[in-house]
Amino acid sequence: MGRKTSPSPVEKGYQELQKKHELKRPVFKNCIRAFLVGGFICTIGQAITYFYIYYFDFTEQTAGNPTVATMIFLSMLLTGFGVYDHIGQFAGAGSAVPVTGFGNSVISAAIEHRTEGMVLGVGGNMFKLAGTVLLFGVFSAFIVALVRTLLTMWGVL
Amino acid sequence: MMLKGKQSWVFQNRPVIEASAVSGGPFEGNGRLAEDFDIIHEDLWMGKDSYEKAHTLLLEEAITTAIKKSGCETEEMEFMLAGDLINQITPSSFAARSLSIPYFGLFGACSTSMEGLALGSFIINYNGAKKIVTGASSHNAAVEKQFRYPTEYGGQKPPTAQWTVTGAGAAVLSNNKNKEGKLVTTSATIGKVVDLGLSDPFNMGGAMAPAAADTIIAHFKDMEIDPSYYDLIVTGDLGRIGQETTYELLRKYGVMLQRERFEDCGLLIYKEDQPVMSGGSGAGCSATVLYGHLLKQMHKGIYSKILVVATGALLSPLSFQQKETIPCIAHAVSIEMSD
Amino acid sequence: MQQVNPEPAQVEGNNKKDKKLALKVKRDIQSLPQIYDVAVVRGKKDTLVVYKVKHMHRMRMKQIEKDINKMLEKNYPKENFTVSSDFKIFIEAIELKDKMENQSYSEKEAEEKLQKVIELKKAMT
Repeated sequence: MGRKTSPSPVEKGYQELQKKHELKRPVFKNCIRAFLVGGFICTIGQAITYFYIYYFDFTEQTAGNPTVATMIFLSMLLTGFGVYDHIGQFAGAGSAVPVTGFGNSVISAAIEHRTEGMVLGVGGNMFKLAGTVLLFGVFSAFIVALVRTLLTMWGVL
Repeated sequence: MMLKGKQSWVFQNRPVIEASAVSGGPFEGNGRLAEDFDIIHEDLWMGKDSYEKAHTLLLEEAITTAIKKSGCETEEMEFMLAGDLINQITPSSFAARSLSIPYFGLFGACSTSMEGLALGSFIINYNGAKKIVTGASSHNAAVEKQFRYPTEYGGQKPPTAQWTVTGAGAAVLSNNKNKEGKLVTTSATIGKVVDLGLSDPFNMGGAMAPAAADTIIAHFKDMEIDPSYYDLIVTGDLGRIGQETTYELLRKYGVMLQRERFEDCGLLIYKEDQPVMSGGSGAGCSATVLYGHLLKQMHKGIYSKILVVATGALLSPLSFQQKETIPCIAHAVSIEMSD
Repeated sequence: MQQVNPEPAQVEGNNKKDKKLALKVKRDIQSLPQIYDVAVVRGKKDTLVVYKVKHMHRMRMKQIEKDINKMLEKNYPKENFTVSSDFKIFIEAIELKDKMENQSYSEKEAEEKLQKVIELKKAMT
């Protein structure tokens, strides 16, 4: 949708002029920050995994679930106390890609729409950001499983 | 004849800005112009149970304080002209409900402040009213909620992004005959909608620059004056990128502004170390800086003639999701110290 | 690399045949270059084999487990093995072995504990 026509010479000229002044995203710096903060979050996650392995009856296989739950709980606290958005501004993908970022997107939306009530506000808007991830995650998992099942049935795999 | 040139009004009767007042939030309280605010709230909620109600409160406070400072009563105000960025401008309308002043709701995005001042001056100039109050407001959390992501969402904003001002500014205009030592509006240029094909909602300054340049060029052409007439030309919320671009664009069209007499409200309001990326924005940005800071400076005699060009990006969350480019507008009002 | 390198253990402490088998299995597994720490616990019917994979080879853990299973199947066709590289199982195996060195820990208790560890290994969630 939008305007189909290609930019006119005036528009093109202006866009070039504007580009000169536009501040570029510091990609390299962002990458380093994302690497460090993302790595730090994963280190915490690993520590929690070991905690569950040492002190509870969880194996490496099964410790994943309680670890994810704990990480999301921590991200909920950080979001509620208004810290996570600052981490996000600093780290970018570093704090968005781990599961804590997913938790943050759900929880921040829930907090934001609390004023519109529990059902229409929180319930209706909680997955406003995370909803697409869920939908396409489930959908692509379905497609992959379907392909695999068919291939196995035909004896390719 | 009041229309001059193609799109400018001259106010021969010189409407007086009797008084003005501004209110702001915590972020503005830590900003560069904190002292120029009449009311500063320590908390974004401002004791209300929603950001939208806090938004309404900001405008109510600015208007009642401005009226009080002008020595008038709320009942004496014949009209109120106000607007904001929220859907169907509810905060302004709700403020008008509690103030019960006959009301025009305006929408010009962040240019609303000057739209209100220009229209208010026009009405006063033609004896449509004796006293008018005009204002504009925005609330960071309420606006972000509508246009972008939840407040606590940890998305990374690019360096081109701008920070929506939490604040409201209001001014009382009158047809006072005694103009000595008072600020008057002398002319206004109404801008047309300009769209040069930018579509990044995180780079409003870049999108709005052509609109600002267009209105400034039209103003000088219509009024048959040149930039040296003004002590200061100030834009609404172009931010760092938009301001630089506008400056260069104007030079390209032969309007030579003096760099040190060309400011931007979005750059004036916050300190360098506040995390606002390219500067402030929002309907409250030009309103608070003009009605708070700049008018005080004029009273002090630092400037005697200024041209305020408030710029607005006329997009909605829906329009940019549908890949529309961002149409922009700018309105200019000239304010002078009467002698 | 830090190693625990535990002695192989058997539930029936005095069973010479079991002892020999456990030791042999441990040596077999240890000869693989990708592996650096092996614990073997021989039960009455089942044998628990736990090992650690060198860091750079962890990407191929599934393949290594398959290879070990195949090798054990070939060398000891009559035995019943439970093979794991899980760290938790390793800790449990060491714990079991340490307990077994204590005289007051009965064979029955040891066998029960071994079955528990094997069950834990099989749990997926």
